[in-house]
Amino acid sequence: MVGTKHKSLKTTLNYTFTIAFLLIMIFPFIYLVLNSFASWNQVDKKLIPTSYSLRSWQWLFSNNVTVAPAPWIAAFLHTFIVSTISVALMMVFAVTVAYALAKVEFRGKKFVDNFLLFQMFFPAIILLIPQFLLVTKIGWIDSYQGMILPTAVSLWAIFMYTNFFKAIPDTLIESAKLDGATDLQVLFKIVVPMSKSITTVIFLFLYTERWTTLLWDMIVSKSDSTVTLNVLISQMFGPYGTYPGPMYAASVLLTLPLIILFLLFSRNFQDGMQYTLK
Amino acid sequence: MKRTNNKLGWLFSSPYIIFTCIFFLLPLLWSFWLALTNWNLISPDIKFVGLQNFTKAIMDPKIHQAFFVTYKFLIVFVPLALIMSMLVAVLVNRLPKFKGLFMVAFFLPYLSSGVVTSLIVKGILSYNGPISTWMRETLGLDVDWLGSPTSALVVVSVMIAWKMSGYYGLILVSGLNSINDEIYEAAALDGVTPWQRFWKITIPMLYPSLYTVLILAIGVSFGIFTEVYQLTGGGPNGATNTWQMEIYNQAFVNLNSGYASAIALIAAVVTFLSIGILRNLIEKWGHHYGWN
Repeated sequence: MVGTKHKSLKTTLNYTFTIAFLLIMIFPFIYLVLNSFASWNQVDKKLIPTSYSLRSWQWLFSNNVTVAPAPWIAAFLHTFIVSTISVALMMVFAVTVAYALAKVEFRGKKFVDNFLLFQMFFPAIILLIPQFLLVTKIGWIDSYQGMILPTAVSLWAIFMYTNFFKAIPDTLIESAKLDGATDLQVLFKIVVPMSKSITTVIFLFLYTERWTTLLWDMIVSKSDSTVTLNVLISQMFGPYGTYPGPMYAASVLLTLPLIILFLLFSRNFQDGMQYTLK
Repeated sequence: MKRTNNKLGWLFSSPYIIFTCIFFLLPLLWSFWLALTNWNLISPDIKFVGLQNFTKAIMDPKIHQAFFVTYKFLIVFVPLALIMSMLVAVLVNRLPKFKGLFMVAFFLPYLSSGVVTSLIVKGILSYNGPISTWMRETLGLDVDWLGSPTSALVVVSVMIAWKMSGYYGLILVSGLNSINDEIYEAAALDGVTPWQRFWKITIPMLYPSLYTVLILAIGVSFGIFTEVYQLTGGGPNGATNTWQMEIYNQAFVNLNSGYASAIALIAAVVTFLSIGILRNLIEKWGHHYGWN
């Protein structure tokens, strides 16, 4: 009796501590959302605002209130287009290359394998300036191609998929081929569907990272016609410092899709993490 | 077992090979060449200056500062990230139910953009923000979190540790899960104190996960950019001026692409060597516990 009582007290304490710590950890999000709805005279004045209005959000979605706002909604669409196409390419290329590295014997494979590993640990900062010059020379500055193509291959995704594909039995692939399937069919009809949970993990990490990229998008995008939401918020940081309310609303707009996406896939994500962490 | 099929192999790896040639090898050679010139991104004439950029960089006090600032971030950020993620892992691991749910909630900070985090932190911690104002009016303490060199560095470190804690915590939770309960039970019979249990059993058994987290965190501290760019601009007085920040400023603000390329090459060598040495040390620590 005493033992169970002691135990349930301990469990209650554990939950209390965990919830308290969780609240501290997600407080920045709470602060963000509350301030996007706060009256403008209270933004950044109190940790928890006491009076609320929709002014920041109206400002974000309309074009002629107070000061002409920057094209936030267009920027959101740019972010969506750039992230979605980039990540789609990264995923397709990653499974294709990984299939070759895990399931096909070819001359030079060892070299490709080793070079990939070398590249993964290579400090990418060296490449920033010449990549920018390259994109300028091709005439891709301020274009979607300029933001998408230099980020169309993820070494990490290739690496993760290769390790995962290696664990898929060769006999499965051989028997599908005996039934007349081509390698492309084997890859997209058998191997990829078998990798659902790890695909979720890779997709969510890549999408989050691409969605919140600053440096590359910032140097490639030069005008309102391509600017992504993350870059726009960054640019407006200074000049719109006097209008923090709308900045918070724009930040909610940037963060919310990732949270929804993550929550939608969270079950698959948890399963997938178990694989990736082994 | 597997059939040799050169055509298929090369065809399927071609996206990687083409990408690497265009966006890795070509820029790599280009940056070596750039580093030997004085080109300013605009002027049509490019002068070859030999190793001048490198000698200039080695003498430049701003470069020395970037070098040390990176290690300061390493010293502050890595332990912070480790403590915060360990706290997440230990707390979640103790719960009998809803582990997955809590883990998902703790993971949310990872989804934040550095720009947004900077906006929030600037809002909360700026000199006229709620915390500083409260401290001045109620406690009589005059603190400018982002205006003093040490606290600015700590604030940026906390921001990044906050972002990473859920991700690293997830890695540590799976490590904690893999420790067999029987070991703890046997230790309890031997009268081991909780303190000893943590240091003599949990930490050594957790080493593979700790290794992953440490390597990831060290990698992060050599690539800090967004938060610094957004929040402190490398200041106050260069106190948070990282390699990336310095390279960005030289290349895209001062337009010294040649000089910036030289700095990037130096930064890459320093980063590569530092990570190699740290990795070795961490592996030595693992051997000590009997891991290979």
